[in-house]
Amino acid sequence: MVITLLKESLVFAWHALVSNKLRTFLSLLGITIGIFAIITVFTVVDSLERNIRGSVQSLGDNVVFVMKWPWTFGPDYPWWKYMNRPVPAYKELAEVQRKSKSAEAIGFRIASRKTLKQQNNTIENATVSGWSYGYGKVKAFDIAEGRYFTESEADAGYNVAILGANIAEGLFPNNQYPIGKMVKVAGKNCKVIGLFKKEGESLLGNTMDNQAVIPYNFARLMMDVKSENNDPFIAVKAKAGVTNAQLKDELTGIMRSIRGLKPLADDDFALNETNLLSKNFDGLFDIVGIAGAIIGGFSILVGGFGIANIMFVSVRERTNLIGIQKSLGAKNYFILSQFLFEAVFLSLIGGIIGLLLIYLLTLVAGNVVDMEISLTRSNIILGLTISVLIGIISGFIPAYSASQLDPVEAIRST
Amino acid sequence: MAQVTRPKIISVTGVMAIIFILLAFPMLFTPSIKRMGDFVPMILGIIITLQFVSVIGIWHMKQWGVQLFIVMFCIRVITFMFLELYEFRFYFNIFYSVLFIIFFLFHYKKMDKNL
Repeated sequence: MVITLLKESLVFAWHALVSNKLRTFLSLLGITIGIFAIITVFTVVDSLERNIRGSVQSLGDNVVFVMKWPWTFGPDYPWWKYMNRPVPAYKELAEVQRKSKSAEAIGFRIASRKTLKQQNNTIENATVSGWSYGYGKVKAFDIAEGRYFTESEADAGYNVAILGANIAEGLFPNNQYPIGKMVKVAGKNCKVIGLFKKEGESLLGNTMDNQAVIPYNFARLMMDVKSENNDPFIAVKAKAGVTNAQLKDELTGIMRSIRGLKPLADDDFALNETNLLSKNFDGLFDIVGIAGAIIGGFSILVGGFGIANIMFVSVRERTNLIGIQKSLGAKNYFILSQFLFEAVFLSLIGGIIGLLLIYLLTLVAGNVVDMEISLTRSNIILGLTISVLIGIISGFIPAYSASQLDPVEAIRST
Repeated sequence: MAQVTRPKIISVTGVMAIIFILLAFPMLFTPSIKRMGDFVPMILGIIITLQFVSVIGIWHMKQWGVQLFIVMFCIRVITFMFLELYEFRFYFNIFYSVLFIIFFLFHYKKMDKNL
């Protein structure tokens, strides 16, 4: 019974839509534009969020960074106090390593812009990072070819390097095999022992593709380790079951004792964690999402009015047909469902076209931008849901008024 | 079928209910709701839409409108509690919905039993 009713209502609605093609097209255009606007914004925001979250996670979400400057600060930020803070030093790393019970791995990193050279191929201003051996256990990375340096190579400051994919391509063009070959890092000879796997663009700019990594004890021969321009920091990865808060508490005590701070003295270091960055981005994306929702919401509102208008016209045009149907025994709910289906159909087709346009846009954008932009399942569900609900909301009043028509008066109408 | 005249209080509460319900619709697009799950906006959207339908029924002085409004109010409160959405709109929704239900029930017997 219900299936028959649904089938008949669908057939009626389909005929009504097909018989007025231009009107159908114009009325579903509003919903198409609305869904296109709102879901495009959500798709872009989701893609950016995913990319940034991936970049942040590559830094490690259970890692605390001991640095000079905090990553986030409020309006009462006493920057003049922070200016005089010392930068983290390599000798502090050993102390932290000795005293910490919550740390699984601890590393030190310093980075600077240097010139890399291999025969006639030169890369200027390339990021050269000096890592302690332990930093390789803190930072997430993949080696495509070769290996990571050994602990003895790191401690002795061997002149070895691991190159990012773009650096390797620049120094060794035409698919040359770089492992075992020598490059010059800031004029010093260095043997290539490994290649990082290509990561692609990162919105935070922390991709390994554009970096060359050398042992810290080799890097300090070419970098000023006390300069904050070289951004030195100690990274501490928490053991399983240890929260970042617990780790920060422990590190605060250790760093205060290392630096000999008096009980009432302020900390002269900052403990940063990646979820501080994530929280900041969450706020930003929420604002962009809400702005997109408002813009898209208005577009959908206009589309909904368009469908409601078309449905009122449709009811008016078919008033005597409704009268005939009712006089032949059609129930109110049949008339109601017939017009309601028509409205939902219109809206749903508009929504599907909008989603298809977004899908095509993501394909084009994926080729233009070096970032994964994709239409997610949640956005498809949201788009289809909004389409159906707008169809019901804008079509119910005309459909209900059609179902309430008196058959005699309806037949008489012209 | 005799047409039942709509009392002014039903007209006023009906218009207010439609405004409040439609103002709740943009809630579906908010990032906080989206983050709760793929199907959460859909569930909340269905609740809002059916509340809208119920008010149209009440506008036409139909008993099914009041019945649907009460059912959807209960479902909405349970859903909000389940999703832990204890915000201003949750309490405001309870406040105005209870008030409207009292008005609607006051005129319930005058309403038409048919669809």
